Amino acid sequence: MKILVVGASGYLGGAVCARLEWAGHEVIGLGRSGGGPARRALRGDATRPSLALAGDALDEVRAEVTHIVTAFGSVDWDAGPAEALDLHAAGVRNVLALARGCERFTGLVHVSSLLALGRASGRAGNRELYVGQTFRNWYEYGKYAAEGLVRAARDVPSTNVRFGPLLGVPVSPGTLSARHGLLAAVRPLLQGYPVHLRGGGEFPCYPGEVTGAAEVVARAVEAPATGGTWTWFDPDGPTLADVLRALCRPLGRVPRIVDSTAAGRLQRALASRAGVPPALLGYCEPWFDLDPAVLDAVPGGPPRCPAGYLEATGREVFA
Amino acid sequence: MTAHFPPIDTDPHPAFPVYSAGNFGEVAPDRISPVSWSLVGTPMERATRRLAARCFGERPWVQGSHYVFLGYFACKPYHNLSAYTRLAGRLPLVAPEDVTAAYFEGTRPPRPGRAREGALRQAAALPRLIRELTRLGPALRRLEEEIADLELLARTAVSLGGEAALVEVLTRAAPVLDDAWDAHIVATTGLVPLGVVQRRVNGLVVPHAEAVTPWLNRPAELVWERLHAFSGDLAPGGFLGTSFYEVAEDRAPWSRFSARRRAEPAPAGPDAGPLVDPAEAALGMLGPGRRRLAAALARVMAETMASREHSKSLVMRVLHVHRRVLPELVRHWPLGDADWPYLTIEELRRLHRAPGLAGRAADRAAACAEAVDEPMPGRLDFSGGSGGGARRGRAAAPAAGSGVSPGRVTGVVVRPPADDIPGDRTAILVCESADADVAPLLGLVGGVVTGRGSAMSHIAILAREHRVPAVVGHPGAAALRPGDMITIDGTTGEVHAEPTFTG
Repeated sequence: MKILVVGASGYLGGAVCARLEWAGHEVIGLGRSGGGPARRALRGDATRPSLALAGDALDEVRAEVTHIVTAFGSVDWDAGPAEALDLHAAGVRNVLALARGCERFTGLVHVSSLLALGRASGRAGNRELYVGQTFRNWYEYGKYAAEGLVRAARDVPSTNVRFGPLLGVPVSPGTLSARHGLLAAVRPLLQGYPVHLRGGGEFPCYPGEVTGAAEVVARAVEAPATGGTWTWFDPDGPTLADVLRALCRPLGRVPRIVDSTAAGRLQRALASRAGVPPALLGYCEPWFDLDPAVLDAVPGGPPRCPAGYLEATGREVFA
Repeated sequence: MTAHFPPIDTDPHPAFPVYSAGNFGEVAPDRISPVSWSLVGTPMERATRRLAARCFGERPWVQGSHYVFLGYFACKPYHNLSAYTRLAGRLPLVAPEDVTAAYFEGTRPPRPGRAREGALRQAAALPRLIRELTRLGPALRRLEEEIADLELLARTAVSLGGEAALVEVLTRAAPVLDDAWDAHIVATTGLVPLGVVQRRVNGLVVPHAEAVTPWLNRPAELVWERLHAFSGDLAPGGFLGTSFYEVAEDRAPWSRFSARRRAEPAPAGPDAGPLVDPAEAALGMLGPGRRRLAAALARVMAETMASREHSKSLVMRVLHVHRRVLPELVRHWPLGDADWPYLTIEELRRLHRAPGLAGRAADRAAACAEAVDEPMPGRLDFSGGSGGGARRGRAAAPAAGSGVSPGRVTGVVVRPPADDIPGDRTAILVCESADADVAPLLGLVGGVVTGRGSAMSHIAILAREHRVPAVVGHPGAAALRPGDMITIDGTTGEVHAEPTFTG
């Protein structure tokens, strides 16, 4: 079993490489800035055809790779449409084209995102991708388009793995950015600004711990690819307010979370001045209604998250 | 210094000295015959004058015996850039650059004159133009019926071959052609201020407006796909395999400029698009108020673009009727089969009553034979020392390519006639400009690069319709060889050869 991890120098990609090598698999890490922690590393680019591989490297991948894991693309909620589509959709197209050319190919593990569900109407499970949703930003749309492409490619055996926001101490230092995703909300909270969240933020935000996510990816690699979709998040189900409080705790701060429409309006008007990325404001309302039974689809049961991983993330990134 | 061809050339306008082949250069052949000019240039001039009169009232500058908006020099059709610039200056919000960006490949517009329209008149022009646009839909549907009748009549007349019936076709075609050009000019003109308004509004309400707007403006349906269903001579789609704007395409020397092949409808390509298209996603990201505003503007733009293509197809259908009827008709007249392309349509319509008009053809044929070998620039400037037919020609400044259909794609260069589109790899169509035979290829390729073109070009609208990234007006398009690997960015207009790197 030889596994190509695309995006190996990233946050999740690094954890996936480490987990797969620990299990004794042969791993090729591919990334723009090298291959991350994998022992065998290639420089490449998911947005280019053949992932910008050429010569011996391309021949090796085509002849020997049995599995591909897509873990590329930063979680940038402020990205424009061109960036989102050229990265997520075009990247997946390139990976699919490469997979079709691999002689011993047996399975693609596509790391999707729960956010591909956008503002879903009604209860969503593993089967649903298009549920009449609108999207909050181009990242969500890019992940939606990418997962749609993987599902539509019937000739490439695949498993979709969906995660919510991933937190936890990174395997390779510096790969977790405080500027993007949920963590971008933390700095204004640390500065003591009141933040409006509907219902005081007591709604689920489906976080997960990064090594747990890598564990799920590894199981998807080891299981036969049947075109299924798995979803994994912290089975304890912390709410958004829980997550934000836990992230601030090691810094001795208690976030001022309020539920006030007026504060919400003010927040929208002043967001850019307070250093809050505008895209973050879309997540102040309850996200979507996910069927809790989706966790049962992960073979062997959903991995537990280590205690205190949220606090550890806060300490790692903001201390 | 270029020669002057008095029997065929129009006189340059004394007050508006700058001409550009612009939009003509993309679709029309490089040179067109006098009869085609009289079917294209003259009615277009009349239609533009009428529209200007309806928007601004009878103004002296759009009257007179000179061609104001068009010109025909050495058999090459031109638009008068100075006159369009002045027209643009008379609409509120619109700058001359908006016109050149939309239709003239972003060339530098000439400096507008000092004469300004009164503020009231200027403000009144916009609602008048909007009124014209609202009448466009019904006008096109009426024309569609009239042209279907005309095609039926022409089919009968051609098969019977009688002179009276053929003359009847020409007579009935005259008002229809004028109306079709009217509709085309209204749609073409209206798109400029609409585009300006949309750009300003979207800049305020839509994040990433520049990238998103081309998606929003994608017309729901274009007329071309439907026309491909009608094949055969004098069927509604009969013109698709012919040359746009040239009715004497199989006669020398015009055949040199209008090499065409049979166009086939695009086969249904593999459905690569996601279920929710980017336009729907972009609107979904907006709040309800902004969404309504942006969606309404996009709808109007898309409908007007579709109307523009529709009107163009109607014009082409009337031209095709002439293409078939004229050679049949001249058999009844003392006019050589090679001579009719040198008479104007007005002369041909009167020829059965005034046979002496046929004598004009010989002079013009001689002038045309000389003129078609004269190299003509894309931009003509008569402003300096215009005594005795002197003319200064300047090539248009090589503008950088502009992205007109968003998305980034990497693929192999193919050139039309692209019979060897690789099935396993993405192909990028590279061509000099858009014409009828490019359209069917768009379903098969992953991207388009053209040497000519602007934001509102035929090819740009078609590419958006097919959701294919496109870059138009790229100066390096001619240098790309079939088989090259290139990446194009339909948002920024970048085209670059693909390097590969390895670990």
